[in-house]
Amino acid sequence: MEPGDSTKQARAAAQLRKGVLEYCVLALMRDRPRYGVELLHALEESGALATSQGTVYPLLSRLRRDDLVTTTWQESASGPPRRYYALTDSGRAALDEFTRVWPGFRNAVDAFLTTPHPPTGDLA
Amino acid sequence: MKTAADPVRDYLSAVEREASALPADRRQELLADLAEHIEVTRAERPDAAIGEVLAELGDPRTIAATALAEAENGAAGAPARGGVGAPARRGKVHPLVPLLMLTFSLPFIMIFPTHPGPLIGVLFRITGAVLLCTSVHWTAVQKTTGVMLTAVLPTAVMTAWNLSSGGPAGDGPALLANLATVALMAGTAAWLWRVRRA
Repeated sequence: MEPGDSTKQARAAAQLRKGVLEYCVLALMRDRPRYGVELLHALEESGALATSQGTVYPLLSRLRRDDLVTTTWQESASGPPRRYYALTDSGRAALDEFTRVWPGFRNAVDAFLTTPHPPTGDLA
Repeated sequence: MKTAADPVRDYLSAVEREASALPADRRQELLADLAEHIEVTRAERPDAAIGEVLAELGDPRTIAATALAEAENGAAGAPARGGVGAPARRGKVHPLVPLLMLTFSLPFIMIFPTHPGPLIGVLFRITGAVLLCTSVHWTAVQKTTGVMLTAVLPTAVMTAWNLSSGGPAGDGPALLANLATVALMAGTAAWLWRVRRA
């Protein structure tokens, strides 16, 4: 059942990605506005967060509808104008909140994964 | 360059087909985003084969499925946002409306000093103040300042002026006072216009 196993692994990674992707996208805009292709490159370079590029656009669309990001068109020296995504105040607040809770979350998961299982007798 | 087989068009129609369950505006937005991505990528990597660009973009079915999931996501989150949305709907009047009503309430009275001119002018001012207070375009402090300077203060000054027989007699000083008040109201309106939120 090799193919089945790799599908399960992919599913675990996809589940994790689904939860954190939007905050990573917001984090990419923390210092300056970015355009779509630029955001996708950064995600790709990260490795673990690389995803089918096209699926990021529905996410960006939701972030815009939820007023976490705003978009502006900017001319480019080469090629068509780019749509730049920038954090709104609520986007920045959401990112700050995630930044605050993430270390605790990460440490808790690490603790579960690394602590040896207690002997079952302990609980009785 | 355009040939019978246009892979970009084929790709976008495949997304459109797969995303047919999406609301039309969401679907158009998605297609525009993808078309823009393809255009930008081709400009930045002119050597890349179009097939490669489309392959990186991913399976149209996966993209459509993600878009549908995000749309449901938004719908599930709607009740939470509804609370914020309610006052937004209430204040969806264009920001110019309250400002113009407040500013022109006094000139209106000056131009039509006989009944029912002043009554209409006062109604304008009250409506303008209410619209200003319920608008989403200003903060509470800005609204308070705006209502004080454009409605409360002028009304108080004019009432005091009209009630006190001790005020300077004649039309000259009254006109001057009126013009000063109009200037104050217009200035405040201009300030509100500048600091408004989109």
